[in-house]
Amino acid sequence: MTVQPNLTAQDFKSDIKPIWCPGCGDYAVLAAVTKALAETGRKREDIAFISGIGCSSRIPAYTNVYGFHGVHGRALAIAAGVKLARPDLTVVAAGGDGDGFSIGGNHFMHACRRNVDMTYIIMDNEVYGMTKGQASPTTASDWCNSKLTPHGTGISPVEPVRLALAAGANFIARGFAGNPNEVARLIVEGINHPGFSFIQVLSPCVTYRPEQREWKQAVHASDATPAQLIAEAMHQLAADDGFTTGVLFAGNRQPFMPERKITATFADFERKFES
Amino acid sequence: MSELALFLAHAIALEEEAAERYAELADAMEVHNNKDVADLFRKLSHYSSLHLADVKKTAEGIELPKLKPWEYEWAATGGPESTAAEDTHYLMTPYHCIHLALKNERQGHDYYANAGKASPDAEVRKLALQFAEEEAEHVATLEKWAANVKEPAADWAEDMDPPAEVE
Repeated sequence: MTVQPNLTAQDFKSDIKPIWCPGCGDYAVLAAVTKALAETGRKREDIAFISGIGCSSRIPAYTNVYGFHGVHGRALAIAAGVKLARPDLTVVAAGGDGDGFSIGGNHFMHACRRNVDMTYIIMDNEVYGMTKGQASPTTASDWCNSKLTPHGTGISPVEPVRLALAAGANFIARGFAGNPNEVARLIVEGINHPGFSFIQVLSPCVTYRPEQREWKQAVHASDATPAQLIAEAMHQLAADDGFTTGVLFAGNRQPFMPERKITATFADFERKFES
Repeated sequence: MSELALFLAHAIALEEEAAERYAELADAMEVHNNKDVADLFRKLSHYSSLHLADVKKTAEGIELPKLKPWEYEWAATGGPESTAAEDTHYLMTPYHCIHLALKNERQGHDYYANAGKASPDAEVRKLALQFAEEEAEHVATLEKWAANVKEPAADWAEDMDPPAEVE
């Protein structure tokens, strides 16, 4: 049955105006997020939006749901805590490629394998924008436009969707900021899919990576049915050029949710400390 | 769902998204102290809002379908009159702004003109052609604006204090 949204995308936008650069892909991701949240039919107070640090991590402030602008790389740890403590909430985490794969790289891996029911949106622009344009974990090894890496990083970039699959994410998708309605659809699917959903959004940084304006010509929709088996997904992703968009994997692992019951009273704890 | 209701739902989404996008760009340009372009985007947002109000008035009393964002004819991308984010720049000039708006209005005109030709519903054809004519008027107005704005020098995007400088 189609859920008829009572709230519009506009209802999910806050009064705070984004300070991203004009042309930044994150504007489109914000539009996609607010459209997606409206489509879920959930109330604003039933949604928590968590982020780390970076340009894209400012996004919770621009939405009108519960938000937590956390510390660098720790969005997923906070989001998992929120979901485990309040399983009734829809939990969405967001951030950039540096926050997610470098500072928060370890959290990402374990969030994938832990498979808590939440959605993680990475706005991937292959650069640290907020600190003025250094190479990030997803930057190509030969990108040499930063004075910190004048000859390129010389190391292989992280491949987010393959990493997510190997680590155990239960839903993996890729979108492009230039197609915000498609990104909205992927976010809705990610939210509705049980377990840890990972959505990589190619979100151009027009200030430090102006060549990413050409991504529009590079992206192409996946023509394959979303893989449900890991082996099948690995086979499909082996041929991935990094610009295939759509749902790339939709697994069926049970989400992690420990039983929540009171095992001791406050008096029990007091007795333990007294003894 | 009637053809007319479906067409009007598309027209409202098209105008609403255009108005919102222009307003968003005006805000972004204000943040980056590009006041001339911010004012222009604000004006364009206002005009789109006026057109939106007209379309909504036409749709009064008609039950419109609730479409998901990806169910509109333009599917993945934004509506025909929505400025693509990657077409903007913090140093863009009124010249670029007006030409962007021209591109949007022409796309809007083509959308309505095609709908006016393709629809099996006579009422939709009539309304779509009327909207196409209105879009043609917008194009003509913008062309007049464009004629009064000088094309900037080739180095318009050169920033004397570039944000990409990292020591």
